[in-house]
Amino acid sequence: MYIIRNGTVHIGDGSFRENCDILIEAGKIRAVGPNLASEGAKVLDAEGCQVFPGFIDPLSCVGAMGMPSRHLDNDEHSEPVTPEMNLRYSLDPDEVNNQEFYKSGITTIGLASTNNNLMGGQIAVCKTAPQKMEKRLVKEHAGLKCSVTGSVKETFGSAKCLPMTKMGIFYLFQETLRQARDCEKEKRTTKQNVICEVFDEQSMQVFCAAATKNEIDGLLHMMRDEKVQLNIVDGYCFADSLKEIKEKKVGLILGNVNNMSQIAKHHMDLPKLKELAENGNRIAFTTSCGGYSEGREVFLWTAIEAYRAGVPAEEVVKMMCKYPAEMLGIADRVGTLEVGKDADISVFTGHPVTSYAAKVVHSVVNGEVIF
Amino acid sequence: MGRKLIKGGILYTMEDEKEAFQGDVLIENGKIFAAGEHLEAEDCEIIDASGLYVMPGLIDAHSHIGLFDFNADKSVDDANEMTDPVSSAMDARYSINPKARELKVAYEHGITSMLFTPGSGDVFCGQPFVAKTYGDNIFDMTVKAPAAVKIALGGNPKNTFGDMNRCPMTRMGVAHVLWENFRKAKEYLEKKENGKKPPYDAAMEAIIPALSGEIPCKIHCTQYDMLTAIEVAKAFGVRFSLEHAWGATDYLDEIVASGCDICYGPIATYRAPGERRKIDVEAVKLLDERGVNVALITDSPILSEESLYHHMGEAVREGAPWERVLRMVTINPARQLGLEERLGCLSEGRDADVILVKGRLGLDTDAKVMMTLVNGEVVYQALG
Repeated sequence: MYIIRNGTVHIGDGSFRENCDILIEAGKIRAVGPNLASEGAKVLDAEGCQVFPGFIDPLSCVGAMGMPSRHLDNDEHSEPVTPEMNLRYSLDPDEVNNQEFYKSGITTIGLASTNNNLMGGQIAVCKTAPQKMEKRLVKEHAGLKCSVTGSVKETFGSAKCLPMTKMGIFYLFQETLRQARDCEKEKRTTKQNVICEVFDEQSMQVFCAAATKNEIDGLLHMMRDEKVQLNIVDGYCFADSLKEIKEKKVGLILGNVNNMSQIAKHHMDLPKLKELAENGNRIAFTTSCGGYSEGREVFLWTAIEAYRAGVPAEEVVKMMCKYPAEMLGIADRVGTLEVGKDADISVFTGHPVTSYAAKVVHSVVNGEVIF
Repeated sequence: MGRKLIKGGILYTMEDEKEAFQGDVLIENGKIFAAGEHLEAEDCEIIDASGLYVMPGLIDAHSHIGLFDFNADKSVDDANEMTDPVSSAMDARYSINPKARELKVAYEHGITSMLFTPGSGDVFCGQPFVAKTYGDNIFDMTVKAPAAVKIALGGNPKNTFGDMNRCPMTRMGVAHVLWENFRKAKEYLEKKENGKKPPYDAAMEAIIPALSGEIPCKIHCTQYDMLTAIEVAKAFGVRFSLEHAWGATDYLDEIVASGCDICYGPIATYRAPGERRKIDVEAVKLLDERGVNVALITDSPILSEESLYHHMGEAVREGAPWERVLRMVTINPARQLGLEERLGCLSEGRDADVILVKGRLGLDTDAKVMMTLVNGEVVYQALG
């Protein structure tokens, strides 16, 4: 049992409370409020500190990249359509541990496949703390990772296989959906079952990598009558398709904008993020770019770029907490500091969105103080 | 060129032992004429800097902008002439795309000079140069060329030549190429100095300025390779900086004793066993405290140029005092490159590369460059 005493507590939904305590018991949050009774609880002093829910990177590749040889356990590109792959089975906990995600306040990551497959596999979500596996896995089948980027055509086109063009990508996507739906239920393959569960029964959201305007426009056009909640991944040219993204309330998981000069390369118009936020589009951040991940720091850096571009700091916090939790269907457990949720909490010396001097002084995952 | 007086800013001149003060900067003929309190001058354009920080334009001491060109769909690599492990004669000025969009991003973010260097695919990789980030013609923009001898240890050269079944394919192979070619260059130089005329060797000619102390070696290395770099550089008496320097906390004493410089970064690479096992930003603070000249580098466009702010911020996060971090992107890299008489400092006679900043770059995340001057010309002005 712990009590985090007297911090400025950011709930994760855009609100915050001054001089607030958090009581933790059995790995869960038992109470949030001022002057909580704490008999028998160990005290973590958060006076003068900013307290946040553990941040969530919904689409990290770290943990399945197969380091050090980089044999990429998240890249089953033996064929372009592999929605049945479950990223849970590619997890290397040591690879996750090495990153010390908690030092950037990240306590939960979604493990995703690369951008090389049209449908790469199902996202698995895990905690970043070095704990027993049964405690780490939050959810499997948390989202279907797809891609309509140039990576797909480079992967298969170079082997003279479909798809080797953008039109090939969209043709194969549509044909795959049609064939799955046309097939009688009892005759469906495992792949087709997953596709029907996702696209017809909305068992999970779709996360599709699309960076350029023609990729984003093509994706939105292809998905115009689909009911499934779509999230664009990477999305560097989102501002060029702002009207369509706003209309369909599509989610945006902004890739690592500092990697390979994405801002300059795509003439990225980051201030338009504010318009999307005001429109109610869910936005989140990831360390990944083009289907590969870099260091944990870029999660905060991309959040800072959003703030620099005019998004209010607490709205940015929502993008680091509540929104990615909702996208992955794990909001019942993580993303906000509310009673009953997992005790995943970072105590910073300052506000990491507004000051570089902000440093993690305590990190709590599943109620255990790991730092 | 007209005179300009930047009035009423908070000046960080980067001169040694000089605290920030409220003052003015007078610019004449593209140079700083004076920086001080209550300057008066007639017939000059007044730039109001009240409420803003005024400091020298920032310097990124290790970039590949325009050499790796990501402006097109496909990335272009003109940074690595990987046909011979000793490519020291390659001049990076001929590889750069001076219209790369990243250059605009750079001066709009207050970065006015850079060291543009070949990549690390060879052991002797080629000749870096220092240039301003604003201009039309790279040769006119150039401040110094060659500015260093670029050397690389570790995975890059060994992968390049290992894939061809050529030496070096191991780290010991890299060390061998390093020893052997420094030895050859020394012999070559000695022959020339003794009046003998060895057959012209462009690769050896390119190493001579390092041996004679005119320019430093910039040595890409991490992990135990740092000690290899220090050992070889000391044996031949060359000035050098360790580039990237991840894992420097393992060799603090050796680095301090060697007298070398450090170019730390890029930060935010993922941690992997081997060369990427340690991203120890705290090294920046620890080495600076012990008198080592530390610069922060982005490796742009591998990480983008604007991430220089984030790099400064990570050093601040790890406890380096903000004022010291400002030096790591101004006067420190200028000194490393032997350009402290022109760049990195707001004092008389220096190039008038000046930035006006709202907020504290590297500390406040929303700090913003409001104006950039290069050679005394306003090349960027923020709206509002």
